[in-house]
Amino acid sequence: MQSIESSIENIRKDFPILKRKVRDNKLLVYLDNASTTQKPKQVIDAITNYYNNYNANIHRSVYSIAEEATEAYERVRDKVAKFLNISKREEIIFVRGTTEGINLVAYAWGRKYIKEGDIIVTTEYEHHSNIVPWQLLVKEKGAKLEYIEINDNGELILDQLDKYLATGKVKLVVFSLMSNVLGTISDAEKIISKCHEAGVKTLVDAAQAVPHMSVDVTKLGCDFFAFSAHKMLGPTGIGVLWVRKSVLETMDPFHGGGDMIREVHKYETTWNDLPYKFEAGTPNIADVIGFGSAIDYLSQLGMEAVRKHEMELTQYALDKMSQIKGIVIYGPKDVSKRGGVISFNFHDVHPHDVATIVDREGIAIRSGHHCAQVLMEKLNVAATNRASFYIYNTKQDVDKLIQSLGKVSELFKL
Amino acid sequence: MSDPIYTEIIIDEARNPQNEGTLENPDISQHDSNPMCGDSITLQMNVTDDSINDIKWSGEGCTICKACTSVLTQLIKGKNIDFAKNLKKEEILSELGLEYLAKQSPIRIKCALLSMKALKLGLYSYLAKKLAGSLSLDNLKDDAANLY
Repeated sequence: MQSIESSIENIRKDFPILKRKVRDNKLLVYLDNASTTQKPKQVIDAITNYYNNYNANIHRSVYSIAEEATEAYERVRDKVAKFLNISKREEIIFVRGTTEGINLVAYAWGRKYIKEGDIIVTTEYEHHSNIVPWQLLVKEKGAKLEYIEINDNGELILDQLDKYLATGKVKLVVFSLMSNVLGTISDAEKIISKCHEAGVKTLVDAAQAVPHMSVDVTKLGCDFFAFSAHKMLGPTGIGVLWVRKSVLETMDPFHGGGDMIREVHKYETTWNDLPYKFEAGTPNIADVIGFGSAIDYLSQLGMEAVRKHEMELTQYALDKMSQIKGIVIYGPKDVSKRGGVISFNFHDVHPHDVATIVDREGIAIRSGHHCAQVLMEKLNVAATNRASFYIYNTKQDVDKLIQSLGKVSELFKL
Repeated sequence: MSDPIYTEIIIDEARNPQNEGTLENPDISQHDSNPMCGDSITLQMNVTDDSINDIKWSGEGCTICKACTSVLTQLIKGKNIDFAKNLKKEEILSELGLEYLAKQSPIRIKCALLSMKALKLGLYSYLAKKLAGSLSLDNLKDDAANLY
């Protein structure tokens, strides 16, 4: 397998936006990949090609382009299965994104099985999308939400999970495979095996993990698994929820409507087979097809190579950044335990100000609470800056970021 | 080196903001936050004979937010409620040379005007209790809602 570094010039050529000049004619340096990634022309072309050549609704009609569209859409389900080592394609449900996937579980599984007094366990480094749906659910049911806390290194304190499991009241444990703020990679194997022993179901938010490392859903052994296409070169508005078949079969529908039914009568309806039972209405056909191209693109590079590239870049950035006076970096220092997401604060300058100043140099970093206010509270900060990498980023991008931090020092006389 | 936003006036104002703190029994206390960046402030006022005789603010904010909040509190301290009610965003922005933000940065303008939104909402709640159903009140609520 070729390293990304050796083919980076060709990779960069695939992304039209990387030629874009912003602000005062500065070449765009895109370092907000944890938020969303850029799209290669292969993905953009696949979407355009669908609209130009075979735009039709799927699963319904017999004419040629409808068949082509159905075939293209369903082929992506197979690509997802292969990409994540999922053996049953009917376990793969296309949703709008990770958020919708988690909400689907909270609604269609949670409302049926969570009862008064039950406990759902989440973690302190979750995105709001893996906190709020559970808050809504436990409030409705009179159940309780508990948190696994993080240590000073930004890692989960897993002993706390034992304490909750020992109560016998836990029905579900939810956690992100990689923190979108700290980059911490969760010890999924340990969490899931503890839960298995206790007969507790697990949900994995893989929005940050699937785009950046090789993931094997079968080996992982969880019950629910969700991620988004737009964080892995694909379009916005499409994502995947995977549910273990034995669990999925017991769940009631999420949305009612077309495509999810077998027979509808005046007062009774029977449901379509899996996964269609959970895909009501005309789906986001074009973007599923675009997502297929994104999977092809990443498969061609190889996820091991992607991970290796990001580890090198993260190590480089951590080494350089930790030399800067006044910088505080959050999360694990060991790159084998973290992804390419670096959250930091710079002296007492508010992240919003830092992001505005580096933006003058064309550098896009995120500033804010990153939809993780529970974690911000824990870190005792209102916000952080966050630089996050992907396959098209280079060491020069990191150098430019560091250089622009110098401008912050200059303006604020630090 | 000159910068369109981070002038010395703004950085100094944010570093040494005026009227930071809390009031013991405020007549008006209004919290507001900007969910995007985490700016989060509480504005408190005491009112005597329709005059805002004391004002304090507390919370977290970026340089722009802090500087504008500081200026806003200085502008209305000791002034009549009507003055505060009718205060225009341009008056705050021009104090700090930030007029162009309104046109050029729809995101950062929210940092600049968060305290003004809190001011208008706070006055609205206060006056709503005093004079129920008055027309001028509705304007005030709309003013706050349409500030950005």
